[in-house]
Amino acid sequence: MSAPTAPPPVRPAPVPERRGRVAELRELSRTTPGVLIKFTAALVVASVLVGVFTAISVQSRAQALDNLATRSGPLSVAAQDLYRSLSDADATSNSAFLSGGLEPAAVRTRYETDLAQAEDALAIAVAARDPADLADPDSPLSILSSQLTVYAGLVETARAYNRQGLPVGAAYQREASTLMREKLLPAAERLYDNETAALAEDQDRAAFQPVIEVMLGLALLVLLFYAQRFVRRRTQRRLNVGLVVATGATLVSLLWVLIATIGVLGRVETSRDEGSELTNALVDARVDGLAARRAETLTLVARGSGAAFEEAYGKARAALAGQLVEAQSLSAESNSDVWGELRAAIIDESAWQQVHTQVRQADDGGDYTAAVQLANSAAAEQFDNVDRSLRDAIANTTAIFEREVSSASSALTGTVVGVILLALVTAAGAVIGIWQRLKEYR
Amino acid sequence: MKKIALVLVLVLAAAGCTSTAAPVVRQTAAVDQPMPEGAKEVRALDPPSVDTSCGNPRASFRPNGPLPAPDALSAFPTVAAIRDHGKLVVGVDQNTYRFGYRNPETGEIEGFALDVAKEIAKAIFGRADADVLQLRVLTSKQREDALKAGDVDLVVHTMTTNCERWGWTDFSAVYYEATQKVLVKDNFDYQGEQSLAGKKVCATEKSTSLARIVNLDVDPKPVGMQVAGWTDCLVMLQQNQVDAVSTDDTILAGLADQDPFTKVVNGVDAPEPYAIAVPKKRDDLVRFVNAVLEKIKTDGTWLRIYDTWMKPLLGPVGAPPVAEYRD
Repeated sequence: MSAPTAPPPVRPAPVPERRGRVAELRELSRTTPGVLIKFTAALVVASVLVGVFTAISVQSRAQALDNLATRSGPLSVAAQDLYRSLSDADATSNSAFLSGGLEPAAVRTRYETDLAQAEDALAIAVAARDPADLADPDSPLSILSSQLTVYAGLVETARAYNRQGLPVGAAYQREASTLMREKLLPAAERLYDNETAALAEDQDRAAFQPVIEVMLGLALLVLLFYAQRFVRRRTQRRLNVGLVVATGATLVSLLWVLIATIGVLGRVETSRDEGSELTNALVDARVDGLAARRAETLTLVARGSGAAFEEAYGKARAALAGQLVEAQSLSAESNSDVWGELRAAIIDESAWQQVHTQVRQADDGGDYTAAVQLANSAAAEQFDNVDRSLRDAIANTTAIFEREVSSASSALTGTVVGVILLALVTAAGAVIGIWQRLKEYR
Repeated sequence: MKKIALVLVLVLAAAGCTSTAAPVVRQTAAVDQPMPEGAKEVRALDPPSVDTSCGNPRASFRPNGPLPAPDALSAFPTVAAIRDHGKLVVGVDQNTYRFGYRNPETGEIEGFALDVAKEIAKAIFGRADADVLQLRVLTSKQREDALKAGDVDLVVHTMTTNCERWGWTDFSAVYYEATQKVLVKDNFDYQGEQSLAGKKVCATEKSTSLARIVNLDVDPKPVGMQVAGWTDCLVMLQQNQVDAVSTDDTILAGLADQDPFTKVVNGVDAPEPYAIAVPKKRDDLVRFVNAVLEKIKTDGTWLRIYDTWMKPLLGPVGAPPVAEYRD
């Protein structure tokens, strides 16, 4: 931008024929009207480009937020429901088996509800996919869709044999539980890991720093500054209304994007800290609790040869205790409701552990019937209390996540359209403002 | 207006994901059948113990006199210790219908072996309720470790006495005489052992039945399928994953009774004398158990137990197995 300075505006000198059209144009462009035309062209192109790129950037942020609200958020909830209901279905069908051929109606209902919820969550997870994602037979969704019905079939076979008093029912029950442990649960775990990774990715996309927007806005402002300096020096007028309007529109656009983005960044940060990350910690705790409960019932199903299950119980329970404390410290400053739920869960968890010790004492002491009785009543009750507290805490943090994402989304409302309109105002202001000066040369 | 439209088109074009549609390559859904935990094919195993180093594996320690009363156990220190401790820990099977199985209606373990174990508990404590008789469920594979570690006082299981096992455990006199046979589905055209050539045959891990099947004198050899419990074999037969199950007739009769579309056929026909296993260095307990067995075989209790559990499956039996002793 090394525009010539001092000389007053003069009409270009007649151009000698022999220097040709190109030279003629070059000569023309060095004159004041030529420079003004160049500024006009540059400002129009720049403001449209800045408008488009800023709009694209805002749009991709809005898209990421939309994904969080309508896709990765709900999908990670679905994956978590799926894992939970499958775990619980397995623990429940084992404990139904423990109670003999005539399982209590409530236990059967619970198993049926678990299975219905698992199918429902699976349908949601599958519906969000392209058919190509299901082509790989080793993908978690393929395994889950093809094996869940097999699992249900085995449990029903086991139940039919149990009703007839035939021990082959127990073999089918063990086969079902093995299928759950070795195939379905690992697939559900992989699905949950994938969905939470997708969610974290969307959060990153929604919360990237607005570098492009700011750079583009500043570049346009610099260009406008030089245009106005040139116009002022050549025309001896302090203000050019068109260019002032253009500068104002650019500033408003930049500030609008900045303020909206800062709002989004804060909301997404909260959705992460108080929403999804706390949810993950709570879900981990819940999964550990379910694993401990499954191992507790399987120890009794295995009757005397359940040392491996008892060891699994010990591990899952230690992990549960650790997760509860960790989640509680995560929630200590941000969420007193969740903190309270977790305090209750920690108390219930230690009560459960006490009952479990009694269960083991009874079983190891040879009183199998009392052990089963305790496991299906007091231990089941304490486990349910822990699970219910965690469920409520998860509902709470999920609601916070949804609330924050939705307000982040609304912080961007109209920004895309606004940015485009302001870019058009900038372009129009530049054209009109410079046109008025240019007219004076005609 | 044109400009606005142009910009909007640009923005929308950039914002919408422009993906090229590729045709979905459909893969044939794999038929992935569930299997019992730990099910595994076995193609080679050492032949069943033909080891006669112990002489006659049926011969146990002779009882020293008639069965003593529960309060006169001075000659039986191990038994006295069990009585003082208040618990007899017995390793049992929960998968052999009517021999040792968990009754799904009650959740209790019942059967021929359990009633024999109860007779032993009665001889020690004068009663045989759950307070004094503590059951520990063992799979065929787990018996060896439980006996070596002394986790159980007795194992009353479908456990055959042989010299290889005498190396790490002691046995009572034979309390049940079984024979290895074959279980197939009704539509299996069975013409003797030769029909098993190249077929998949199920048996439990570490059982003598499995070793005998894998080494059966037919060509090609049958392929063994090892599982944890006998009912797992019935599951695999019903799921068409094996062609036959081969083991003791007691077990097979229990399986056949649970599936009317199966039949027990002759084949292999090896004797499987069951004895009660006792951890090593407890000779007095072995002698005590043998005294209990002598008593129930002579006073009709054994036949009553047989008639309750096994007669409906295998028909009547002439007499209890005769005890043999090493002196």
